[in-house]
Parts: sequence; structure tokens; C-alpha cells
Amino acid sequence: MKQKDESKSRLKSIQKSSGRHFFRSLRRIFRYGFIGFFRNIWLSITATIVTTLTLVLLFATIIASLVLSNTAEVMRDKIDITIFFKPGTSADVLSKMSVTMLADSNVKQLSYSTSEEEYEKFLEEAKSSDNKALLIALEDDEDGLMKETFLKQLQATMRIKVHHAEELSSIKKIVAEDELFVANLDTEREPTYNSNDLAISTITSWANIATKGGIALCGLFLVISILVIFNTIRMAIYSRAEEIYMEKLVGADNFFIRGPFLVEAMASGILAGLFAGGLGILIFNLAEPQLKSYDIAVGSIDTFLAEPLNIVLVFLALVGTGMVVTLISSRLAVHKYLKRV
Amino acid sequence: MILFDHVTKDYPGDKRPALDNVSLHIEANEFVFLIGKSGAGKSTLIKMITKEETPDSGKIIIGGIDLDYVKKRHIPHYRRRIGTVFQDFKLLPTRTVYENVAFALEIAGMSNREIERTVPKVLELVELSDKAYKFPANISGGERQRVSIARAVARQPKILIADEPTGNLDVQTGHEILDLLQKINDYGTTVLVTTHDAEAVNHLKKRVITLRDGKIISDQKSHGIYRLDGDNDGISLPQPGHLHPNSYLIKEEKKPAKTSKRKIQ
Repeated sequence: MKQKDESKSRLKSIQKSSGRHFFRSLRRIFRYGFIGFFRNIWLSITATIVTTLTLVLLFATIIASLVLSNTAEVMRDKIDITIFFKPGTSADVLSKMSVTMLADSNVKQLSYSTSEEEYEKFLEEAKSSDNKALLIALEDDEDGLMKETFLKQLQATMRIKVHHAEELSSIKKIVAEDELFVANLDTEREPTYNSNDLAISTITSWANIATKGGIALCGLFLVISILVIFNTIRMAIYSRAEEIYMEKLVGADNFFIRGPFLVEAMASGILAGLFAGGLGILIFNLAEPQLKSYDIAVGSIDTFLAEPLNIVLVFLALVGTGMVVTLISSRLAVHKYLKRV
Repeated sequence: MILFDHVTKDYPGDKRPALDNVSLHIEANEFVFLIGKSGAGKSTLIKMITKEETPDSGKIIIGGIDLDYVKKRHIPHYRRRIGTVFQDFKLLPTRTVYENVAFALEIAGMSNREIERTVPKVLELVELSDKAYKFPANISGGERQRVSIARAVARQPKILIADEPTGNLDVQTGHEILDLLQKINDYGTTVLVTTHDAEAVNHLKKRVITLRDGKIISDQKSHGIYRLDGDNDGISLPQPGHLHPNSYLIKEEKKPAKTSKRKIQ
């Protein structure tokens, strides 16, 4: 009992006498971390290069996913449904029908034109076309006979853009059942959604794949990048396992041993984030004209990166990711050896 | 200062215990050699003192502390009270001689001013003042061992453990290291040196504890006539042990003798 009390009191006293001087230790940890970064320069370069490449890959994946998703959105916007009405259907009737159609939640945008308006459009198109014979015929139509003939044949139209191109049943139902629609529908020309079904479903499924696949791909690359960085740092620390062992034997606590390794990892992460940001933006700028030539939508990213504040955000995000991943990897790797003695 | 009372350590899968009912007592300010062949149990005994290993049974008391009560959180603080020197030096390769010595003081939270005052004195003691800013790779084996000793004594521990300190050195350098350890012992530090080097034992003529197959087979004052002998634990004995372990085992540790030469001048 006496020995127990004596031991405990001695332990308490040595703990007190060598108590942790937190800020002093922290200063030393940062100093040795940065010194270690430069004295183990080859290990530091390796860790920084691997982290940079992984972050560039991650950055490229996010950009690619955004580009794909934007392109799909642009293509989706190009899809419209055209409903044809009998020539001469009045603007009033078309307005009433548009009110009915706009009540459907799937309708994103709607426009209509009477036969007269369709004729005006036809004239505009003819003027800008190279069809000289048609232009001469139209200029010679002083008595309006030609216009009258066209107006008798040109249908009034309603053009609809939808939110979900794959869910057209409610629109089809209005067209087939609403009294005004049934009475005015041109029976000789079917609405375009039937002929575009295949294209609509293909574009829609591509758009969905682009959005969901992009998220999945980003997640996958994040996991791969963590594993790659973790293994690189683990190998770097493995070569210094003996250092950790001797520091423990001399009486260093885990906080003091682990600290410089974390600072070294953090330095690698910060440098890698900065390099990756620079490289990523440079690659995007080089690839942009090529992408635009293939009608790939890069406009929104271009606009985003035009803002200096957004560029800072991109760098911060990459530096942050680099730091977090390298810190976690380093902590896990050191922990293994700290448990040894 | 160091007390082992019926200590046994058995590693799973081994034919016999690494330490078998070992009892020994080393007084404050003593200089003791622990000898025996490889596998005799010397390293296990050292690891028990540094709390790298724990015994299966028995009691160990170091500097008045019963190691049964040293919990995981106490270990770093406990180790700072013991200086340890290794055969392979165990220096930090990316730090200079000065930084290696300073490390032992930094982990204890000593101020920069104190460190700047202490390290040069310790380097002077081991005669390495002119190598302070060299890296371990750029100095000789003997010098590395001196750095290791400087690091071990920088905090002025009461106990210095040296595990085969001359094992990687030539005879002359080995003697210099032993003389340095003797000097440190003269300052009042208890020194325990493991070795299977008869030259080392004969050089200083100190108390010698011999281990064989995990047991103490002899504990006596050296007369300087040990010699290498393959048939007898690497070292032949001049006479049977004059002390049986049980005869010196004490139940309560004596208070260490006070010395005015404790502090490194």
C-alpha cells in the first residue's frame, strides 16, 4: 500500500514537472515540420506530385461532369413539341388553348402563332434564303392571291418546352381530350412529339447519366485519390518508422511525435492544391476552344472562372481538399507506428 | 534504484521464459554490467525498465516507482527520467547533433534559453562541441555513440541504461565510451550496461550480473579476468557467484545516496 501511494505520488510529481507547454510545443512542432519537409525533400516532392496529380484529376472530373451536365441541359432545352391547328384558327382560340396547356405543371414555356404570323415568318425565311424563284414570285404577288393561298394552307402552331421530356402523357391527354383542342386540331398533321419520342428519350437519358454519373465519378475519384495519397504518405512514413520508435523511447509523447509529420503532410497538401489549381485552370483554358468547336457547353464554367473571386474559391477548395486528405493519411499512417511501444 | 523481484516474462511460442524468476537490486550511484549470450534475457530486462515490455509476474521498482502503476499516459513522462543508450545509437538522421541533444529537452517542454544553455555543456562533456552542426551521417560511430549518450544525460537522469553501447565500435573507441559512462557515473548517475564484450567488462572492473537462459547465474564484483568463452555465456567466470540473488533482494527500496556532484558542471 505504501509502495502504491509512493509510486502514484512520484508519477504525479514527474507529470507535473514535465507538464505540457502547449504553445511552446506547437511552435517546435511547426518548426520541425517545415525543417523535416525540406530535409526529407525527395519524400516531400513525391508526396506533393502524387497529391497534385490526384487533385488535378479530381478537378478535371468535376469540370467534365459540369460540362456534360450543361451540354445535356442545352440539348434538353432544344427539344420542343409543336402542335398544329387548322389554318385560320384565331388568336383568341389559341390564347384560350394556351391557358389550358399552361395549367399543366410539366409545361416550362409556351408560344403560339396564327396562320398570319406563320406567313410572316415564312416571308422572313424566304428573304434570307437563296431561293430566287420564290422571292420573285412573292414580289410579284400584288393582288395577294399567293398570300391567300398560303394562308389557307399554313397551320396555326403552338410550341411547347417541357420540364420532363419523358413524361408527356398529360400533354397528350389535353391534346386528345380538351374540346377546343379537338375542334381545332389539324388532322392532316400530327403533333411532333410522336416522331421525336426516340430522340427525346435518348437525350433525356444521356442528360440523366451525365448528372448522376458525374456525381458518382467525382465520388469514385475522391476515394481513389484518398487511397493513392494515403499509400504514398504511408510509404514515406514507413521509411521513417524507426524515427518514431526512437522518439518514443526518448520520452516524446504522441502529440510531439505526430505533430511534425502532420505539418509536413499539410505543407504537401497546400503546395499540391496550389499546383493543381494552376494546372487545372491552364488545361481548361487550353481545351476550351476545342470543346466549343464541338458545341460542348462550357459557357457557364467560362463565366464562373472569369470572376477573380471564383478562382480564389477554386484554389481554396483544392488546397482544402489537399490538406484534409494528406492530414488524414498522415495521421492514420503515424498512428500505426505510435502504437508500437 | 533498480529492483527486480521474482520477475518472469514468457513470450508465447518460446520454449523457455525470456526472464525466469529474476531478482536483482542495483543501488543508487552503482555501475553494473549485465552480461550473457544473445537470447540470455538482457534485452528483455532492459525493455522491462524502459516499459516497452511488462512482466507476466513479479514486481519492478525503478527510482521508487512501482512500474505496475505506470499507466500508458505516464510512460513518456516516466521515460524522460531514464537515459537510454543503444547499440545502434538511434539518432534522428534528419537532425543535427545539436538538435538530437536538444530534442530530449524540447519534449520535456524546456525553454529555448535553458536549452541553449544546457546543450553546449552536454556536448562539451562528450567532447563534441565542434561537431554540433553536423548530421549523424557525417560523424564516426564513436561520435554517434557520444551523441546518443549526450542525449541520454541531457536531462540529468538518475538512471542511465546502455544496451550494448560498445557493440558497434572498435576496442579503443569502446573504451572511450566506457570511460565516458564512468564519468557520468561519477556525477552520481546509476549506470546499467548490457554487453557480451569481455574487453568492456575487464576495462572498468565493476559489479557484473550474468544472465543465462533468462536466469541470473552470477552476481559479483569483477576482478578484470573475464575472457571470451563460447562454452560459458560468452564470458568465463573467475569463481562461482559470491552473491545468491535472494541474499541481496530487499523488500523496500533504500533511499538513494545524496551526492553533491549530481549536476553537470
